[in-house]
Amino acid sequence: MKKFQLGEFEEIVMLTVAILYDNAYGVSIKKEIESRLGRSVSVGALQSALKRLEDKDYLASVDKDATQERAGRPKRYFKITSLGKQAMQHTKETRNSLWDAIPSISLDVKFAKVYDA
Amino acid sequence: MHSPPQIFLKFFRWFCHPRLLKPVEGDLLELYDERVKELGKRKADRKFIKDVLLLFRKDIIRPTDGTYSLTNYGMFKNYFKVGIRNILKYKMFSFINVFGLAVAMSVCMLIILMLADQKSYDQFHENKDQLYRVIGTPIKGSIPYATVPMPLVKTLKEEYPLVEQATFLRRGLGGDATFNEKTVELRGYFTDNAFFNIFSFPLIHGDRATALSTPNSIVLSSEKAYQLFNTENPIGKHVTFEDRGLSMMDFDGDRPPVSLGEFTVVGVIDIKNIKSHLEFDAIASSSSLPLLYKEKLISDVSQNWEYYWGGFAYLKLKPEATNASLDAALASIAESKYLEAEELKDEEIREFGMFGQSINDITPGILVNNEATFRLPEIAYYILSLLALVIMVMACLNYTSLSIARSLTRMKEIGVRKVTGATRKNLIYQFLTESIITVMLALVVASLLLYFTKEAFMDLWFNKYLNFELSSSLPVYLIFVAFALIVGLIAGTYPALFLSKRPPVFALKTHGVPTGKWGMQKVLNVSQFVVSLVFIVTSMVIYNQFKHYTAFEYGFNSENLINIPLQSNDYEMLVNEFSSISGVTKISACDHIPATGTTNITELKNRDEELDPFVMLQLNIDRQFISNLDLELIAGQPFSTTALEEGRHIIINESAVEKLGYETPQDAIGELWKKKNDQSLQIIGVVKNFRASLLINGDNIRPLVLVNNAEEFNYLNVRISEGNPQGTIASLEEKWKSIDPVHEFEYEFFENELANTNLAIFDVVSIVGYISFLAILIACLGMLGMATYTTERRTKEVGIRKVLGAAEMTIVFILSKSFLKLLSISILIAAPLSYFINSFWLDNLPNRVDFGFGTVVIGSLLMLGLGLITIGSQTFRAARQNPVESLKDE
Repeated sequence: MKKFQLGEFEEIVMLTVAILYDNAYGVSIKKEIESRLGRSVSVGALQSALKRLEDKDYLASVDKDATQERAGRPKRYFKITSLGKQAMQHTKETRNSLWDAIPSISLDVKFAKVYDA
Repeated sequence: MHSPPQIFLKFFRWFCHPRLLKPVEGDLLELYDERVKELGKRKADRKFIKDVLLLFRKDIIRPTDGTYSLTNYGMFKNYFKVGIRNILKYKMFSFINVFGLAVAMSVCMLIILMLADQKSYDQFHENKDQLYRVIGTPIKGSIPYATVPMPLVKTLKEEYPLVEQATFLRRGLGGDATFNEKTVELRGYFTDNAFFNIFSFPLIHGDRATALSTPNSIVLSSEKAYQLFNTENPIGKHVTFEDRGLSMMDFDGDRPPVSLGEFTVVGVIDIKNIKSHLEFDAIASSSSLPLLYKEKLISDVSQNWEYYWGGFAYLKLKPEATNASLDAALASIAESKYLEAEELKDEEIREFGMFGQSINDITPGILVNNEATFRLPEIAYYILSLLALVIMVMACLNYTSLSIARSLTRMKEIGVRKVTGATRKNLIYQFLTESIITVMLALVVASLLLYFTKEAFMDLWFNKYLNFELSSSLPVYLIFVAFALIVGLIAGTYPALFLSKRPPVFALKTHGVPTGKWGMQKVLNVSQFVVSLVFIVTSMVIYNQFKHYTAFEYGFNSENLINIPLQSNDYEMLVNEFSSISGVTKISACDHIPATGTTNITELKNRDEELDPFVMLQLNIDRQFISNLDLELIAGQPFSTTALEEGRHIIINESAVEKLGYETPQDAIGELWKKKNDQSLQIIGVVKNFRASLLINGDNIRPLVLVNNAEEFNYLNVRISEGNPQGTIASLEEKWKSIDPVHEFEYEFFENELANTNLAIFDVVSIVGYISFLAILIACLGMLGMATYTTERRTKEVGIRKVLGAAEMTIVFILSKSFLKLLSISILIAAPLSYFINSFWLDNLPNRVDFGFGTVVIGSLLMLGLGLITIGSQTFRAARQNPVESLKDE
């Protein structure tokens, strides 16, 4: 199933774009990730992830709202494509199936400690 | 509203992918605006810069292929690709072009290396642009002298403020330095402390500020210091010095040793790792000279304005002074000291002039007499460069003519390019790109070739004296690349202009039929072969001359004779010791070895002094010399055994008999003459003529006087029996060590010494021979290219002819006809040309070899043969081809 390739940061970006729905552009995505995940995101890292996702056709974009405070530069709004949705779903399912496969005993921390000793 | 740091914004706009530029820039500005409000401008600026720098990553940077840019990058990429494809597609032509250019370039690169090596001399001096040497011109228009009169330096220092520092390097320091029974040979100069202010020779021991300021102090080269003192600190050590009249340039100026007393070592110069036109083992303080004058150990020339070969004058000028102002100063000195001087001993010196030579212009520099070390003069480099240039031009012509010849195969491509909108400029660029690619490939091959030619060049005889290093450094490589680019442009310009000229309709319509007259290519090819033939004949003539000299009949027997320098030892003692060795059959002595370059001059005066004195060569020999060298005494007797007559009796040769005006040798016997100092001389014998001077010095055997004067002897001539020469030499060396433990035993076979005098000619043979080999190689490559091309063009014709029944030989002849014509024209032009050129220089050469049309004919046949092989390789192949193969397509 190599069809859907989604890195960790890419997945976060996809999810955030989905959360923001109609208002997903550079600055808003950056702020959303920073506030929700409590980690700082550089414009460079974000933009390169967005470009890669767009190149993979997981995201589509449209330029509009060239406002005064952006010195006449448009905002590039992102939307998830159906392929992107499939990719996200695929990632989620893979995770879930992995979670389901964990025997409950392996997450028993007390047990682990015995091994340690 | 605040604005972010402009330079970073611009940087971002420059590198950002155009697709992302606008929205991302908007994001950046929005964030910046927010941050200014929240955090203030400084922090916002810093964050902005950080964001920009973090954006500089693979996904964001604009792609480098020019699809989005406005440069010509994409076009050049295409030219490059097409160029490479063309080179790979026509391997034969590419090989001819690349190889021909590479061969020529390797020669040019060798010359560049030589010049770079020479230019690196004397570059370590801190004030090198202010340093000058004074050159003297005793006679206008003749070769100037590197040496000048000694008082000049004092006058310049005292009377001319433009001179900041001046020093005189007095020649005359050459002999043995001894410390604790260890002796080494030192050659050098007397000078003063200003030497260290002018030059930047590094002192590894001692104090620059005070070195050589006290009498009897000496500075040694690190090599000699090590030989004398090993690793001990040499400063303050005393060495005794015995002068033997050695100098940096000559190797047999021996004279009886004169003790100059004790010298204190005050410094050690690390001269080995330095490239300077000045070389020395030692420099001694010139303040020691007055005492030596007083004791008459060295002649005092410090006030003598007429003795201009005593040493070198070096100056450091004030920064604002120029070469012209120095020349003016020197001219005014010359005027007062010579032209308007009241009294001169030698009137000829009245015309004496001087000029300044910048230290940067010494290596390579003009040809001067009395040079400090062996060096090739500028003119030699000009000649070598000219030869290399001729070869380079020939290779470029090859490229040009082949490119034009093949233009027809490229016409379709040119047409299509033009129709799709290429301008003429684009096409010119394209063809220049191709020629530069070819030249760069040639550069790679040339570097490989250079490696071998360099080795061969370093093995030449004269490099023993010139010490070329020829090491490559980064600047030299850059020069190579620049040189290659220039070659590429020169070779490619004409084809580029020619090929881009045709209108597209013509370019597309022509159907691969050769229509041009090929006039240009024919002229080029003929000129190449003419040059080649001239080179071939010249190198053959020089080689014949070399062989002629080596086989020359000198008039004496040099076989099995070894010459041993006495190195100031007592000759009789050595003779006695050496005679007892079994392999030694006879021993004689003389002051210099005849016919190897050294000559002495004497004057014979008539008893009544009614005639002008006769100038003759003089050779001092002992009684055994005549019989030892198998000279034939045709009248009179040999030197008598009584010591009383020593120096008063002379033997002359046949030329001298003639010059002194006697009818027969017999008439001269018993006649009395006088020496310059009025000592009377009696002729007691006449020997048959033999060569006493270099072959190159003159056709005629010069009049010679043989004198038996034991004081002057410098060499022993030891004749050894034929068997086991090495054993005899070993026992000679053993004896030598028991007599003189200080100096190394030196010897040389007379035969080798005579051969060595001709090695310089052999070097010229090697160089001209190599150049002519390259010339003919390049010319043949050019012809090969043309032959390949025409035979390829004419395969259909050949096919049809064969089908109609033509014989193979007929076809070969038809195909070769035009080339044969070219070859014949070349020979017709070149044969007389090379005959005249070679007769011209040969006429001025003494003892020349006979040069007839034979050499020219052999040279022409050689070239014709090579040309025929070249053409034949293509035409035979074409003629053998099965007509089915050539006719079946279409």
